[in-house]
Parts: sequence; structure tokens; C-alpha cells
Amino acid sequence: MKLGRIAVIAVVVAAIGALFAFGLLRGNPDDRNITSNLIGKPAPAFALPLYERYWTDYGETFALDDHLGKPLVINFWASWCLPCYDEAPVLQQAWQAYGPQGVQFVGVQTQDRDKRDEGRAFIARFNLGFPNVLDNDSLVGVDWALYGVPETFFVDASGKVVAKHIGPVTPEVIEQQVGALLRGGA
Amino acid sequence: MTGEAGLRTGVLAKVRALAVARALVVARSLATVRGALALLALAVLAFGPFATAQDASSAQSVQIGSRAFDISRNLRCPVCTSESVADSSAEIAQQMRALIQEKIDEGLSDAQIYTFFQERYGDWILLDPPKRGVHLLVWLLPVVVGAAAVVVVISMARRWLAASAKTEDVSQADLERVRAALAGAAKVDDAATDVESDKGG
Repeated sequence: MKLGRIAVIAVVVAAIGALFAFGLLRGNPDDRNITSNLIGKPAPAFALPLYERYWTDYGETFALDDHLGKPLVINFWASWCLPCYDEAPVLQQAWQAYGPQGVQFVGVQTQDRDKRDEGRAFIARFNLGFPNVLDNDSLVGVDWALYGVPETFFVDASGKVVAKHIGPVTPEVIEQQVGALLRGGA
Repeated sequence: MTGEAGLRTGVLAKVRALAVARALVVARSLATVRGALALLALAVLAFGPFATAQDASSAQSVQIGSRAFDISRNLRCPVCTSESVADSSAEIAQQMRALIQEKIDEGLSDAQIYTFFQERYGDWILLDPPKRGVHLLVWLLPVVVGAAAVVVVISMARRWLAASAKTEDVSQADLERVRAALAGAAKVDDAATDVESDKGG
């Protein structure tokens, strides 16, 4: 009888403990590194206004659909985001290295409403050669299920999202992910 | 709070403090009913702009209906820690609230709107875990534990009631001893009462 009572108490305590553990672990920010429903799915389409310096090469609007069929690197950034300043030179170097190989890079300024001047200054500061657009109402950011900035998505030639990187990209990340895109038969 | 809003609040706080200080000086110098009235009037002047600024600040946020608010309360703000889309002032949360209102205006049901966000962010975006899979445990465990607690309380209460209602067989000799003890105690009580009354008299 006494043993039975101890067992009941142990079960109740374990159940409450399991609930607490579930609640705590569910909100763990580390989950963000593995949570993306977009992986393996078609890249959500968007058409956004380009900054003026890219009009000559790309026109006034950048539509993702027009660039499907080649590997894509889509980087989301904001003018207030300090890690974005760290990764911008890396992206520019990667663009210079992989652009001629047929990889299309695009920068999307998001969560940065009406910050066009700041966006222009950011682009000019790093002399970004790849096209950059403004997602003024951040709706494309929601479509791409952003948690914050910077985030970078890698899309293969079939238009499928194959990887996502949260935080500033490094040359190693670019080499690994873009290398995989190119090996995948772009 | 934005830098501009913070600056505005800071300036208003200084203006308010200045006005209240000025009102105190006026009230002291007059020391009459008129002084008190002046204090009240200046206090109203001091707090008035603050209230207006608060209204203006909240008016900057996106206006959404109660249904959109209820939905946004059940969605997690992606860039925050343990904060709902309804509670957060982050830009993405504001955009999500506007997006929810847009979806409602388009005629989507609540379930369709939740699905829209789940398809993009996964179940993580829901503050209430979905009632399926491993998440079902979160919904069922409290019910099971609650039911178990009720069963335990009822069984314990029954046991206590049964124990209190149970009669014991007592021998005649024991009964006589108890009666004698009670009678003796009563005599002692009477004697003590007499002594007390003698002292009082």
C-alpha cells in the first residue's frame, strides 16, 4: 500500500516535471537553427522594387520567378542590424566569386520600414554589386518565415529551398552551401 | 519604444515635473482655496499632454479588430522571447497583425490563418500547442492529473468519514472507569469554583 502511494506520487511529479520540461524546451531559441518549414519546398515568390543603382542591369523590379533555373542565394538584412554589416563584405566577395559561375545573389532589406536612405547608405558602404530590394512592409519576410536578420537562404536550380543560415554568413558557410548548389547540377 | 517616443516621454516627464513644482510654489504662496485650485489646474495641464501623447503613440500602431487580436494572441512573435504577436511592438509583429487583419478581410477562417503561419514557421509559431502528436500530451496530462487528484481526494475523504463513523467495542469495566473519572473531574471543577467565589466575596 505504501509502495503504491509512493508510485502514484512519483507518477504525478514526473508528469508535472515533463510538462515544465516541455514548456521550457519548446521556447528554446536554439530550436531556430533547425526549424524551417521551407526546406525542401519551392521558394516563395516575390517581386520587389530594386534600388536605383541596379535598374540598368535588372530593371526597377526584381521578380524571383525571372531568376528560377539557376542557384540562388537570398540574403535578408536590415540597416539597423549590426551582424548584417559584418556579413555584407563576405556576400560581396562571394558574389564576385560565384556570380560569374551562374549563381544569382539577391539582398532583401526587411523589417526596416521606410528606411530607403539607410538602405542606400548600407549598399553604398559595401559597394554591393548584387541586386538589393526593399521589402518595405516585411510581408516577404513573413512568407520566408524569418525569425530575424540576417538570414540567408540557398535555393537550388529547380527553385527548391535547400538550406537556411541564421546569423551572419561566413566564407565557410558560403563555400559549403554554394558549393553544394553548384555540385547539385545548376 | 522607439527613440523618438522615448525622447517625447522624457520631455513630457520633465514638463510635468516642472508644472507640478510650479503649482506647489503657487499653492504655498497663496495658501488659500484659490491656491489649491491652481494646483489642480496645473496638475491637469501637466498630465494632459502626457495622456494625449500616449494616445498618439498607440494610434501609430496598426488598428486591428478583436478577431485579429485574438488570433495574434495565439501566435508567437518570431523575433521576441516568449511574447505573442499581440503583445510585441517589434516591427515584424506589427506587420503580422496587419497581415492577419488582411486575411480576415479576405474572408479566411481562423483555422486557415493559423495554417498560413504554420506552413511557414511550423508548429513553433503557435503559442497553444496543436492538439495532435506529442503535443497532445500537454493537453491530456493536466486532465489526467486533475482526474487522478479528484479520485485521490474522494478516496481519502471516504476513508476519513468511514474512520470517524466507526464504533469501538468498549468493555463495561472501561466504561465505569471513564464515568468515575468524569465524575471526579466534575467534583474538582466544583471545588475550584467555590474557592474562586470565596475569594471574590
